[in-house]
Amino acid sequence: MTVRDVCIIAGGMSRWGVREASIVDMAQEAAKECFEDIPALKKENIDGFLFASSYCGRTSFQVNIAPVIAERIGIKPINMCTRVDTLCAGGSSGIILATGLIKSGMADIVMVAGGEKLYTPERWETYYSEVASVDHDWDGAQGIGLPPPWFAMTAQAHMKFYGTTKGQLSAVSVKNRRNSANNPKAHFQKAVTMEEVMAARPIVPPLSLFDCCPVTDGCAAVILTYADKARELTDRPLVYVKGTAQVSLHSMSMNWPGEHPADWPHLRVAAKKAYQAAGVGPDDIDVAMTHDCFTISEIIEMEELGFCKKGEGGPFVESGQNDFGGKIPVNTDGGLLGCGHPFGGTGIRQAREVLRQLQGRATNQVKGAKIGLTHNLSGLNVEHTILIYQREP
Amino acid sequence: MPVPGVPILEDKYPSTMDLYPLEAKEFNRIHQFYENLKEKRFTTTKCKKCGHVPFPPRVICPKCNSEDLEWVDLPTRGKVLYVTEEVAGVPLGFESPLIHALVDLGQGRTLLTRIVNCKEGQLKEGDEVQLAVFDIPPMRIEVKGTIREENRVFFAFEPVKKHK
Repeated sequence: MTVRDVCIIAGGMSRWGVREASIVDMAQEAAKECFEDIPALKKENIDGFLFASSYCGRTSFQVNIAPVIAERIGIKPINMCTRVDTLCAGGSSGIILATGLIKSGMADIVMVAGGEKLYTPERWETYYSEVASVDHDWDGAQGIGLPPPWFAMTAQAHMKFYGTTKGQLSAVSVKNRRNSANNPKAHFQKAVTMEEVMAARPIVPPLSLFDCCPVTDGCAAVILTYADKARELTDRPLVYVKGTAQVSLHSMSMNWPGEHPADWPHLRVAAKKAYQAAGVGPDDIDVAMTHDCFTISEIIEMEELGFCKKGEGGPFVESGQNDFGGKIPVNTDGGLLGCGHPFGGTGIRQAREVLRQLQGRATNQVKGAKIGLTHNLSGLNVEHTILIYQREP
Repeated sequence: MPVPGVPILEDKYPSTMDLYPLEAKEFNRIHQFYENLKEKRFTTTKCKKCGHVPFPPRVICPKCNSEDLEWVDLPTRGKVLYVTEEVAGVPLGFESPLIHALVDLGQGRTLLTRIVNCKEGQLKEGDEVQLAVFDIPPMRIEVKGTIREENRVFFAFEPVKKHK
């Protein structure tokens, strides 16, 4: 069996936000931008299609959505056509699976798309549906839908053990909202000040409005292929998938693997595996998209991904080490806090931004970025997923 | 009662919209957990072969694959490690503030649970809480064309009253 190097060659997004559109509409918008990003590629040569969505069965009343989308966007995948669901990491799961398909020769050119239509005609149904995204019988029945209560406990633990402050949480939101302000696809295109963030209404103390990513409609799409084919299709620098990892050590609230809620051993395992596979370490990463579903998440991710020491995430973000000019610019397109979070679409949005960064065509460009990392956590912090991308030398 | 937009669902029970578990034995092999809960017992399964006591309960031991399991009692009291009060985004069926706690049940076991019968701002780290069992709406099951109602209970924890 041949083992091939795999490249990401194109990316696209629909507008994200509160959309007057269905998931099938938005998938077409994302696919169009993605096709237009690689003009030499003929649609008929796409032989694999993965669509990442968690809620389509719930809020769009549509299961097995992959063939529906494939038909609408005008592709006829003959080697693979399926939906993937890892909630917040679904898009990244799709990219990892596509990498495996291409690497092994089971498919040649794979589109990975994904996203959600989360806003239902009556808003209660959106929030109510969220009790399906945790362990339904044990967590959902306790009124835990979206995970703010768990991440509020996480923030409490980080404050208790490491002295992290509300101001440090807020710094993450101010940075990411500034980065999304010039992103035409983002849910929010208005920066927020430290004062606004600090004074915002509470959601689950210590988390307030701007500490939490919004509920968002949207889709995104990328295309991957093997390196020789990528060279045929584009003159841009090739961007390789160099290392991947996805780790699950427990389920939702059950049997948490850490010493306390701010201790994320499953992310440490994932980081170690992804860095090993890529042959790099945290100091080699030039730009990172980490899963800022809550401000506290980005702080802990800086630690567990090895960008700073455990417990030092608060001062790290407060001093701008996760920003342009710092140690590692993070969420340069606005992240989840700025772009929003249509679950299955997020990992694909991150991949699109890393592709643009490593090809030197991002809106908020990190100068000379060669190696990029994307990270997702899923739901109630139940899985961690990482991809490392590297531009050809 | 008519369902706006979907009149064909009038008087139907959409179990896919049910917040609570389908506890009835026809749908759930750990039905006994809920029967025990009705007697205010908080239980799980213990493997008779290897002694493993996982929570939540299983139908097969996740350690040794044995199906020879028995029901054992878990502590119904614990100490609060973390407490949160959700004031916005509370799902339908719950009131704001929706209080949750991570409770230390002892024996290295923690539980993320809702807290009931508790005022806002009342519960603190280190406080004792105890099991609270309450009725929830029955689920409906169609048996040979007729509808049977299955009574259900569910659980949360509540503050232990402090004696002065």
